[in-house]
Amino acid sequence: MKKYKYAIEVKNLTKKFETFAVNDVSFKIKKGEIFAFLGPNGAGKTTTINMITTLLRPTSGSIKVAGYDTVKHPNDVRNIIGIVFQDSTLDRELTAYENLYIHGRIYGYRGDDLKNRINSMLKFVELENHANKVVKTFSGGMKRRLEIARSLIHNPEILFLDEPTIGLDPQTRSHIWEYIERMKKEYNMTIFLTTHYMEEAESLADRIAIIDNGKIIAIGTVDELKSMIGNDMIYLKFANNLDSECVKNILNILNEHFGNSNIINGIFEIRVKNANESIPKIFEIALKNSWKILEVSYRKPTLNDVFIHLTGKSIRERGGNFDMKKIFAKRRGML
Amino acid sequence: MNVITTMAYRQIRRFTRARSRIIGTILHPIIWITFFGLGWSRALNFPEAKALFGGVDYLTYLVPGIVAITIFTTSFMSGMSVIIDKDYGFLKEILVAPVSRSKAIFGRILGDSTTSILRGIIILLMCAFITHINILGVIPVLIIGVLLAFTFSSIGISFALKMNNLEGFGLVMNMITLPLMFLSGAFYPISSLPIWIRIFAYINPLTYAVDGMRYFLIGKSQFPIVMDFGILSVLCVVFLSIGMYLFEKATIE
Repeated sequence: MKKYKYAIEVKNLTKKFETFAVNDVSFKIKKGEIFAFLGPNGAGKTTTINMITTLLRPTSGSIKVAGYDTVKHPNDVRNIIGIVFQDSTLDRELTAYENLYIHGRIYGYRGDDLKNRINSMLKFVELENHANKVVKTFSGGMKRRLEIARSLIHNPEILFLDEPTIGLDPQTRSHIWEYIERMKKEYNMTIFLTTHYMEEAESLADRIAIIDNGKIIAIGTVDELKSMIGNDMIYLKFANNLDSECVKNILNILNEHFGNSNIINGIFEIRVKNANESIPKIFEIALKNSWKILEVSYRKPTLNDVFIHLTGKSIRERGGNFDMKKIFAKRRGML
Repeated sequence: MNVITTMAYRQIRRFTRARSRIIGTILHPIIWITFFGLGWSRALNFPEAKALFGGVDYLTYLVPGIVAITIFTTSFMSGMSVIIDKDYGFLKEILVAPVSRSKAIFGRILGDSTTSILRGIIILLMCAFITHINILGVIPVLIIGVLLAFTFSSIGISFALKMNNLEGFGLVMNMITLPLMFLSGAFYPISSLPIWIRIFAYINPLTYAVDGMRYFLIGKSQFPIVMDFGILSVLCVVFLSIGMYLFEKATIE
């Protein structure tokens, strides 16, 4: 086995389709680390994974996986990586066992060794009772679990998980998180995962790269990222519909006292060191200016706040959900 | 070797799972034989017609054609499963595997060819009971069947690798299958066609398979049997190489 310090080294990676899908991205992933790409749909996460896993050729830049260049030595790279793609790549017509069997044979395993591997992996993802069922009949969660089992059959050193819990119910999702944590613990695997769920990145990853529009806009541990935006957030909602003059006025006053104030979707956001101390102060100011506050809430910063801080938009708004919101709003308006 | 046998195994396993497909692909030639063959066999039951068909009754004349067509259509259809694999993602599983891609696609062609030859044999054995074919000719017919199946599996897969949707592939299939079938000498001697159409029959790989099979099953053929084998072998190697080359270059873009 080759010795290497960095499981993955990406330098100035760029992929251009009609526009830049991935634009001058560089990062390093240490051996044994869980590294997450966090970003909205269409940010370039899957394109990056496809390039690292030798499925796509970069337009420019270089990628080394366990020291092997992905363009010059694709088969060396393919040998030591396991991948769970975002969309299922199972053979639906075959049984769970057959899917794993074919995978194992292709990666050079056979006989009793392969049989044992298949059985222990099926057990790992708790599908041992479904070994001889045709995959077509599986639920989304079962398919994802089988796919994880398959990606582990050939004992990869580096595992890629592209949106591992997209479209799954919360229960299955926490199940899959458990597997991921166990994989790291039991096999000391390096794991590269992409996600647009902040909780997922936050609870699993040692380090996170926030990606938007094909560029990495921040990289670090959860704490490092959160420290970029100070501490607590206070949200204010006012009673009446404010005109833009009024909004400007309020923002000015808030900025005077606290700095870092903002308005998003009609809700004022104020970034402070300590919300408990600042909220009474806000009421004082409100009283003085005779503002009518309807709602006050506060929370500790999340990765979404970091994302908003960096891009001006929330992760969800960037993705498909935003359009749905618009459509619903339109519908309501028509009714 | 592992990859070739594994991919062949997969194609055969898939085939045995799809019972409706098996029944469908066997029913199709039976319909041709009974509803088309029996009718014309009765209608063409006079000496001049028999002379035209090499001295045998029309039903017997038709058998090699139907066997060849069965192998041809089913192996050509293997392109369909490549497109399905693209849609359902299984193709990616192969593309990221640390294996020789030409071997992977060769294994696939081997598996698909096996299943289509199997169907050919079933039809052939059924026909042996109702017609006057030379049953000893089955072995050389199988060899021709292998060449034919490899050729058209490769053509089908090459098309599929360059196409992105089932509808498009279905359209191409239909546009190509029917003319190739009718211009292969399966239903009537090519020599009765006008010269300008005959040219198309001569460039049709299926023509040489039908002719070669007819040589071994009935004892009559239009071309020398060496020529049939020669042309089929060359075409087989050419299209197999094209298929392998295209798969070697395949990406997910």
